[in-house]
Amino acid sequence: MGGHLNAYTSREQTTYYAKVLQSDVPKALSILADILQNSKFDDNRILRERDVILREMEEVEKQPDEVIFDHLHATAFQYSPLARTILGPANNIKTISKEHLQSYIKTHYTAPRMVIAASGAVRHEDIVETVKGLFTKLSGDPTTASQLVAKEPSFFTGSEVRMFDSDLPLAHFAVAFNGASWTDPDSIPLMVMQAMLGSWNKNAGGGKHMGSELAQRVAINDIADSYMAFNTNYKDTGLFGVFATAKPDCLDDLAYSIMYEITKLVYRVSEADVIRALEIFPAPSLGWTSAVAEDIGRQLLTYGRRIPLAELFARIDAVNASTIKRVANRFIYDRDIAIASMGPVGSCPTTTGSDAGPTGTDISFALP
Amino acid sequence: MFKTAASRLRALKGRTSTFNRGVARFSSLNDVATKPPSSSPFGVLFGWLTGGKSRSMPPLDFPLSGIKLPPALPDYVQPVEPQITTLPNGVKIASLKSEKPAASVGLYVNCGSVYETPESSGATHLLEHMAFKSTRNRSHLRIVREVEAIGGNVQASASREQMAYTFNALKTYVPEMVELLIDCVRNPAFLDWEINEELQKVKHDISEASTNLEALVLEAVHSVGYKGGLANPLLAPESSISRLNSNVLEEFLSENYTAPRMVLAAYGVEHEELLKIAELLLSDLPSVPPAKEPKSVYTGGDYRGQGDSGETHFALAFELPGGWLNEKDAMIVKVLQVLMGGGGSFSAGGPGKGMHSRLYSRVLNQHLELHSISAFSSIYNNTGIFGIQAATGSDFVTKAIDIAANELIAIATPGEVDQVQLDRAKKSTKSSILMNLESRMVVADDLGRQILTYNEWKLSQLLKAVDEVSLEDIASIGQKLLSSPLTMASYGDVTKVPSYDSVSKKFHVK
Repeated sequence: MGGHLNAYTSREQTTYYAKVLQSDVPKALSILADILQNSKFDDNRILRERDVILREMEEVEKQPDEVIFDHLHATAFQYSPLARTILGPANNIKTISKEHLQSYIKTHYTAPRMVIAASGAVRHEDIVETVKGLFTKLSGDPTTASQLVAKEPSFFTGSEVRMFDSDLPLAHFAVAFNGASWTDPDSIPLMVMQAMLGSWNKNAGGGKHMGSELAQRVAINDIADSYMAFNTNYKDTGLFGVFATAKPDCLDDLAYSIMYEITKLVYRVSEADVIRALEIFPAPSLGWTSAVAEDIGRQLLTYGRRIPLAELFARIDAVNASTIKRVANRFIYDRDIAIASMGPVGSCPTTTGSDAGPTGTDISFALP
Repeated sequence: MFKTAASRLRALKGRTSTFNRGVARFSSLNDVATKPPSSSPFGVLFGWLTGGKSRSMPPLDFPLSGIKLPPALPDYVQPVEPQITTLPNGVKIASLKSEKPAASVGLYVNCGSVYETPESSGATHLLEHMAFKSTRNRSHLRIVREVEAIGGNVQASASREQMAYTFNALKTYVPEMVELLIDCVRNPAFLDWEINEELQKVKHDISEASTNLEALVLEAVHSVGYKGGLANPLLAPESSISRLNSNVLEEFLSENYTAPRMVLAAYGVEHEELLKIAELLLSDLPSVPPAKEPKSVYTGGDYRGQGDSGETHFALAFELPGGWLNEKDAMIVKVLQVLMGGGGSFSAGGPGKGMHSRLYSRVLNQHLELHSISAFSSIYNNTGIFGIQAATGSDFVTKAIDIAANELIAIATPGEVDQVQLDRAKKSTKSSILMNLESRMVVADDLGRQILTYNEWKLSQLLKAVDEVSLEDIASIGQKLLSSPLTMASYGDVTKVPSYDSVSKKFHVK
């Protein structure tokens, strides 16, 4: 058909998706239905996929950002479900069997927890009709994902994990605070805060002229190769922080700058800075049909509805400097942090002092 | 003490405390601590410090009241044709309407490394870095902040024949976008310190590139395969760093950024509106006769670069005469490329990633010694290159080159490719074109570049050309390709690479 078929997994959701030309939509739906309901899990195929996953794991381990975020989750959410990596431990990959997969599908791929989203050259009524005929074998188990999460919630623990490797030229680290859940209204201000901290890399055109004060600090003092603020949401919690890559001798200064700028969100926020951040992100990728379909699916699973753009913008526009300070007070002021680092991180500051103090001067994670 | 108090207050505030400013002053901390969070009033003192003025919102799974929703878009949107206007001085302005909220504007110039002279060698690469730096009207700081202020993003990219400067943002800002874009392209100041800073980055690029053998092989194919403009490296040569300065760039710009060689293309804009703004900004460019494109002659040749990796990367390539201007052949080659496909020996992909392509099913699945093998094509206005590139351990090189040569000969042999394979390749070529065009940036880009090459947007013709590709076309284009002299390039451990003549003989038996 000249289409694309793929599946990918995050910590909370699995997506199966097909992208085809208009004429092939029913065919694509029937393939998806077949995959989801009638997978045979041939022992040979499992054997082969095992190798693929192990190879994939090797690839993932080569990407510092993936490794750092896996370890960040592992330490920040230790002893809770979000600590698990997506690929799972190598041992499990080697032993997982047909029965495991089948029982997993049976318990988790239930109709109430599934969303079928389509976008592009489709008509809603047609899709509904086709789906009615195709997705008939799913279990109707009424347990919702929220119930499962409530039964086994995730807890944030301030902690640190560090992987020394003096052979690597650059150190990578991420520092994170406990963030907001999907539905938390404060996740919007956190998004704005993420934009305020921004991201930067050596080749970015803006250089030291970027609006973000953290970017200016980093660029002018030349203390990092790149950094990126992140804000991840989950069903019952989230992570908010900064991921950075730098030469080992800059780590102290960089950590100080990052913590200084994050802490500043608590007590000194200028309206101009907020307005700049508000403008930055209303231009999401609204074009790709696959991105739109994925967005619809994700929002239905997390919010139970799709937030209209107008409402999202209204919520974003309602954020002002006071909101930022309030939300920063809730998530940052005097809160524990989790750190994951790898590479030549012998001189990387630790969590001693453990939390962001009320002023910029007694910054936690700097000053060993 | 302060800290404990504060954390208690925070615990109180909970997630959605509503706050009545200055309604009550609390007398003691305990007093406050016993009040329910929903009505806990904070003192003015804490209010300004902790953001007491902020309004709280319902959780995201509940709709916000008082939001007026715009009417939904119609189910079916009539495909629109682009409108193109040529100004008296030769600048072309093209636009395509769209219902989506964002717009993408690009300024495209028929200029690239093919136009470089020995004196200006490397200028294209530096120009790409110097894009959106200080102009005679704006400082770099102002450009960065203006772009940020409307939440847009700017990008420049250089290729051998075309320069592209693009700007994406919401539709409402089109006038600002067009003005800034044109200012940045027309009036760069080329300040010495900015040039020096960027030269350092160019240097960094060069050293980065030396680790990317795949790209080096492709560069080498151009530098030995062609005589003339296309042999110029896209990446600035090391020697150019000390030579390039503002004078060189200014001269290069005044020679090449002329009115007839510029296209302003926009997606998501009304043509009239765009014309009104852009005409004022572009019509004063002097009209000069279009410069002759430097001639590039395909000669074929051999390049070997010794590197210290144990891997060997090589490419076998042939000329596609005619290039984009021979659109039928160009599209056949694109289909051929998908048909041959290929990729890395490891891919996390599933179906739809070309797993059924010939190089996958016939080569990669059978020879585990090959780390990667794929078909590539680089098509230019008047000529193009098609071939296979691969990476393998150095012991396997001779065999790998045999395999690659046999694959190339196979597609030139009538009857070797079957209809099922061809249909699959045609469909995926088509769908990948259409799917890429979902992105507004790609649309503006494609519009601009096609107008530079064809003076019009030929999307439907190109798609039709894909549909019309037949088995005979594939075989005859294969023969046409193989009749040109071979270009061979290798990098890495090249001691065991067979001689040029012995490889060339495989293709040219007579």
